[in-house]
Amino acid sequence: MKYETVIGIEIHCELKTKTKMFSSAPVAFGEVANTCVNEVDLGHPGCLPCVNREAVRLAIKAATALHCTIDPLVRFDRKNYYYSDLPKGFQITQQFHPIGSGGYVEIETAEGKKQIRLNRMHMEEDTAKQFHSDAGTLIDFNRAGTPLIEIVSEPDMRNGAEAAAYVEKLRMILLYLGVSDVKMEEGSMRCDVNISLRPEGSDTFGVKTEIKNLNSISNVQKAIEAEVQRQSTILEEGGVIEQATRRYDETQKTTVMMRKKEGNVDYKYFPEPNIFPIRLEEAWIKAIQADMEELPDQRKERYMRDYGLNAYDAGVLVATRELADFFEAVCAHTKAYKKAANWIIVELNAALNKANIKLKDNPCKAEALAEMINMVEKGDISGKQAKIVFEEILKGRDPKQVVEEKGMKQMSDTSALAAWITQVLDANPQSIADFKNGKDRAVGFLVGQVMKLSKGQANPAMTNRMIQEELKKR
Amino acid sequence: MRFDTNKDMAVLTRCEKALEKLKALQPELNAVVTFCDVEQQVEALKDVDPQAPLYGVPIVLKDNVSTKGVRTTASSRILDNYIPVYDAAIVEKLKQSGAIIVAKASMDELGMGGTNKNAYTGKVNNPYDKKRISGGSSGGSAVVVAAGAVALAIGTDTGDSVRKPAAYNGVIGVKPTYGRISRYGIIPYASSLDHVGYFTTNVEDACTALEVLAGRDDRDMTSSDRPVEAYRALLDSDVRGKVIGVLDNVQEAICDNRILDNMNVLLAKLAARGAIIRHVSMPQELMETVLPVYLTIANAEATANHSNLDGIRFGMREEGENVEDVMKRSRTAGFSAYVRKRFIIGSYSLFVENQDKLFRKAQKIRRLIVEHYRALLAECDCIIASAAPSIAPLEDEAQDEALGASHLVADNHMQLGNFSGYPSMTLPSGFIDGLPIGVNITCRPFAETVMFGIAKAIEEETGLADHTVEVKA
Repeated sequence: MKYETVIGIEIHCELKTKTKMFSSAPVAFGEVANTCVNEVDLGHPGCLPCVNREAVRLAIKAATALHCTIDPLVRFDRKNYYYSDLPKGFQITQQFHPIGSGGYVEIETAEGKKQIRLNRMHMEEDTAKQFHSDAGTLIDFNRAGTPLIEIVSEPDMRNGAEAAAYVEKLRMILLYLGVSDVKMEEGSMRCDVNISLRPEGSDTFGVKTEIKNLNSISNVQKAIEAEVQRQSTILEEGGVIEQATRRYDETQKTTVMMRKKEGNVDYKYFPEPNIFPIRLEEAWIKAIQADMEELPDQRKERYMRDYGLNAYDAGVLVATRELADFFEAVCAHTKAYKKAANWIIVELNAALNKANIKLKDNPCKAEALAEMINMVEKGDISGKQAKIVFEEILKGRDPKQVVEEKGMKQMSDTSALAAWITQVLDANPQSIADFKNGKDRAVGFLVGQVMKLSKGQANPAMTNRMIQEELKKR
Repeated sequence: MRFDTNKDMAVLTRCEKALEKLKALQPELNAVVTFCDVEQQVEALKDVDPQAPLYGVPIVLKDNVSTKGVRTTASSRILDNYIPVYDAAIVEKLKQSGAIIVAKASMDELGMGGTNKNAYTGKVNNPYDKKRISGGSSGGSAVVVAAGAVALAIGTDTGDSVRKPAAYNGVIGVKPTYGRISRYGIIPYASSLDHVGYFTTNVEDACTALEVLAGRDDRDMTSSDRPVEAYRALLDSDVRGKVIGVLDNVQEAICDNRILDNMNVLLAKLAARGAIIRHVSMPQELMETVLPVYLTIANAEATANHSNLDGIRFGMREEGENVEDVMKRSRTAGFSAYVRKRFIIGSYSLFVENQDKLFRKAQKIRRLIVEHYRALLAECDCIIASAAPSIAPLEDEAQDEALGASHLVADNHMQLGNFSGYPSMTLPSGFIDGLPIGVNITCRPFAETVMFGIAKAIEEETGLADHTVEVKA
């Protein structure tokens, strides 16, 4: 039997705020354990929550970019359960009235564009981080209370590639909005994937499993593919899928059971009594929406429209925010947009990779790269020379200085070129004869000779043109 | 005892005198959980304006008010070793106004109860008759004011936890409008019903106290932005033309004629002063739901509010095999059976399958009750009723959640003030068999000035300002 894969994804994103969702303690990653906490985060008796206005603002931006309907009445609820990473014994979330509902994310698939519908987007607070060992459990409350948005998709994805594209698209959108750091490896973006299979053509869902703790987008796809394989094998053998939470084991390349799901936990949700419903002013929402950053799709279109890039190059640049920002900085100083894109996508990426430098630590100054590109454009230096200059730019050096020091200023002075050309032609009568006999190759040889004579300083295009003119005269 | 009693004494002497008295009373009343060190506090007064309203006034806090560095137990075993790392908002305000905290007072465990028999340190005795209860849950705070040890004690009021013990102990108990005083740092009971309140012996001090305690606090999102009025300066006992509505549901449920007569005499005096006395009533079937609605909402909120008490980060810990086991053992050993029962009831009403017919239904009825109550106050400046159907009960007769026709309405009507959040206070109005009784008045939201004016008129008629009792050993 043929099976159809059904995938729905829940994504938790930490919002990029200075302070926590309901307390004034700082939000920070990688600080000494239990130093970014106050009495609220520790759930001390008598503490009350105070809603972080900036978190609401960021949530509105995200909801807008995801085409959600925004509920202007912000309400919170309590989700009750006992766990040592949950200081209050309840989590403040938005169960009954999420700030965003509906909406969609558009992804590229093998079959073209596809809309993945969203069920909801709501705000909540993060839990503490636990470290279990034989010696006991250690708890770091720095993360407790960090603002989160949870984005829940409809079960609209059909394979691992679509799921990966969905997560990647969301990641890019939230990154461009400045809403979240979206670092899966640091946990500022976390992904829970629900997967089930059903006979093709069926409209009921099969039993699903949930994969948690995925630390990269490529693992989202790999985990799904492994899980689909696992489930279909079971089904084909006439077995049944067990509802469970699983994780992806990278070394074994398979999913591993974490815990069985036994019935639904009753979280006894009820409205948070310490936060009255907050009416958001329409003007405030509008102002936030009017002031939104450009989204990745919009930026890609702009690169194609304003800079004349092709879809592929524009896509590569936009996919990495830092790369795209650098491209724009370069374009502020040169009109050779396509060349700029090429240098960045090919040469810069390769050079940084080779030197093992992260993009955010890119030592190449945008002005320097632009200036170098302009020199090539003007014919001041050759493309070959540019590669040498580029090496130096990467060390933070000024391209003009490099060119002067290395004496590579390209010769475009016609009288000097003419002298070299005369010298070369005089020395190669056979080539002239070849040319007259219709052998165009001879031109290339002669240009090469001029380059050699000029120690690479002659402008090859001009040399080429002038040699042809000279040959016709002889 | 008034705020200005002993004002001529050196502050330290004055506070030590209060402490001495509290310590002498302790074997008789069992009102105090922790006696506080006053020397440092008196030292800190050098940064406070001597004209500050509570400069050098010794005060007592209910033991659910967080005090930085000072043990705060909420009279629960699970918090027996808990020392807060921060001051409640009102503690900051009290300190800024010069008050000196001399003791933390006993209460029903975590505020749950109306007898003060449910305290980890045991029952608090009524200063008029030690065999009788103080009432609760702010029993310790009520009796230290009634016995003349301090002029101000802070309480909290979720059902009638300030106003009922005020009646049983012959003092003034005030619960202002919800949101008037910040709850930040108050160990909660039920958040939507919890109010900070306090006890004094006279209306003037009650005005001054509210001026100190009230005001917006950004840490409590339910606290109000409204400016705090100059209650003391605005105090005016002229009740001419004021419409006072007698809540007949309550008076009709009271069996003791002496209590009814006490009210009628008072009403006649207020009428003689030019007040307009009206008889009003709530739908009886709604009045009979007040207690069950109260308990349903309060227990549900409480079970969530107290989920933080698990022995992991603070408080009493019972060791166990793993984290979950530690939590289970700590909570089992840390709470009394009575509190555990209320958690179970609260949880039950929140279960998905029960929520519609219990918790949500209770919230709906609460809204309905408040709508009716608001309508009554639209035509009255004030609703008045006897605070309780009896004097303070004897220890073995006192029970929480007392049912029966008389108790159901007459013992629980002050919860209307918590449902609505309207300002409400109890004043002493006389004595029966040597034990005090009180009247309760409730006004429109943020109409504390009106409430204090009517209270002042009542106080002038009863002549019970500054009344305290000498406790005999």
